[in-house]
Amino acid sequence: MKKYFEVAKVLFKSQLAFRFDIAFNMLFTVTKILFAYIVWGAVFGENEYVAGFTLNSMLTYYVVSSFLSGLDISEGVSWEISSRIRNGTFSKYLVIPVWPEGYFHAQNYGAAAMYMIFNLFAAVVWVFLFRFSFTVTTDLCLLTQAALMVVLGLVFMVQFSFFLGILTFKFGDISAFLMVKGNLVAFATGTMVPLTLLPAGVVSVMRFLPFYYVTYLPSMLIIGRNKEETGLGLLTLGLWAFVFFAINNIAFNRLRKKYDGVGI
Amino acid sequence: MKRQLRLIWILFKMKLSHMMVFRLNFFGAFFVDGTMFAVQIITFSAIYNNVESIGGWSRGEMTVFIGTFSLINALNMLIYFFGVVDLPQKIINGDLDHYLTKPMNPLLRLTFEKIDLGSLPLVFLSIGIILYGVALMEASVTPLMAAAYIFLVLLMTVLWYDVELIIRIIPFYISSAQRIDRIEDLLSLNFKVPGVLYKGVFKVLFYFIIPYGIMSTIPTQMLAGTLSFKGFAYGVGVVVFFTVLALKLWKIGLKSYKSASS
Repeated sequence: MKKYFEVAKVLFKSQLAFRFDIAFNMLFTVTKILFAYIVWGAVFGENEYVAGFTLNSMLTYYVVSSFLSGLDISEGVSWEISSRIRNGTFSKYLVIPVWPEGYFHAQNYGAAAMYMIFNLFAAVVWVFLFRFSFTVTTDLCLLTQAALMVVLGLVFMVQFSFFLGILTFKFGDISAFLMVKGNLVAFATGTMVPLTLLPAGVVSVMRFLPFYYVTYLPSMLIIGRNKEETGLGLLTLGLWAFVFFAINNIAFNRLRKKYDGVGI
Repeated sequence: MKRQLRLIWILFKMKLSHMMVFRLNFFGAFFVDGTMFAVQIITFSAIYNNVESIGGWSRGEMTVFIGTFSLINALNMLIYFFGVVDLPQKIINGDLDHYLTKPMNPLLRLTFEKIDLGSLPLVFLSIGIILYGVALMEASVTPLMAAAYIFLVLLMTVLWYDVELIIRIIPFYISSAQRIDRIEDLLSLNFKVPGVLYKGVFKVLFYFIIPYGIMSTIPTQMLAGTLSFKGFAYGVGVVVFFTVLALKLWKIGLKSYKSASS
């Protein structure tokens, strides 16, 4: 366990070398909220309530969900695995005495911790700059459950990204697929629009998918809504994480045999 | 002119044969951007399920807006995006030498050397979205309005090209700006927001300084019959200004180009 902690620590520190990426991520978070502010400002100019949201609670939702989605940098795991398989440098993970998936988990959490600090700063600046009343729950139990769900969600997203990345062993080039997945996940996690605005039937189906619990439900819990879904959410997400743990082990052990270590 | 067209045709044939080698990726751009616009439609549809209008725009106008945005993007991907996308790297590592030493206008070659036929279905998909939006609007579109709309879409495609080029020639002046094109990801976010929603400082910013705000909005207003002559003239003026600016900056930038040591 110590070696993974060391990997996370190194990645945490090394992020400072990639200041442009951190600044860009922060700016991207702020810009996303800004455009949500413009669109929803126009919507609430004509309506007082939309799907139970006021302008304040809607903006709070976007600040929280943008902050949480900024923590999920797992997409980089797929891209790194894919590029390393393609250029033949994935061999590194096969010769060092580590569990490859665990190594990517550690890398991801180390980097995400640094992003968390800067995104938190961006969110706070945003709230003060636009002077709206930030309405989050004060229920500590609910906040703890939301935090637990966020952690489980991040674990799941790394597992999912690892799985997609190792598909490169079989398909060679998965870049278009990863971009399509990025578009769909951005929607399914509720970072573009709160999922409660969708028809009830669609939301019911989405509850079976893990993405519903990665950003959307924790954000709703933090603003004090959807409390009744907490138990089911943690259970569903836990189950998905368990399933992907098994899938990744089986898939990695089978697909790695296709790797010849010289690149594609 | 005839010679330039012949060269573009040769570049197109070369690109097509290259694409045939990587058949799996042929429709990559179509699937990537197709899902992006599908998500955009679903997002606004979810909002319209709860409200009647957004900033005075009905569901029909918003659908035309998304279709127009999709169409301009499709034309961008089809014609010049893949040609100019890695211009910053070419400037920094000196690959631009290969373009400057050939007996052909380097910008013309860069612009047309990677025409992507795989994006063509996206053009048809976008036209479908626009027609659906027009049906929702229940507005009467005259042939003159349709012609003016097509003219404006082509004009805004040129404007997008101008902005793409301006962003990508910054490494002529600042060699450390390798990832300057990521700024575009950030700025183009406002392309997804109808320009009619901007007020005050944002209107100044996205209508005058970084004109992404007008690219889909002005053609949509034309089709909806809400574009004034002043608005039309403004759109044309902005495109002329940015085209002249982009070409000037390109020419000045070339003088600062220090080949492989840039």
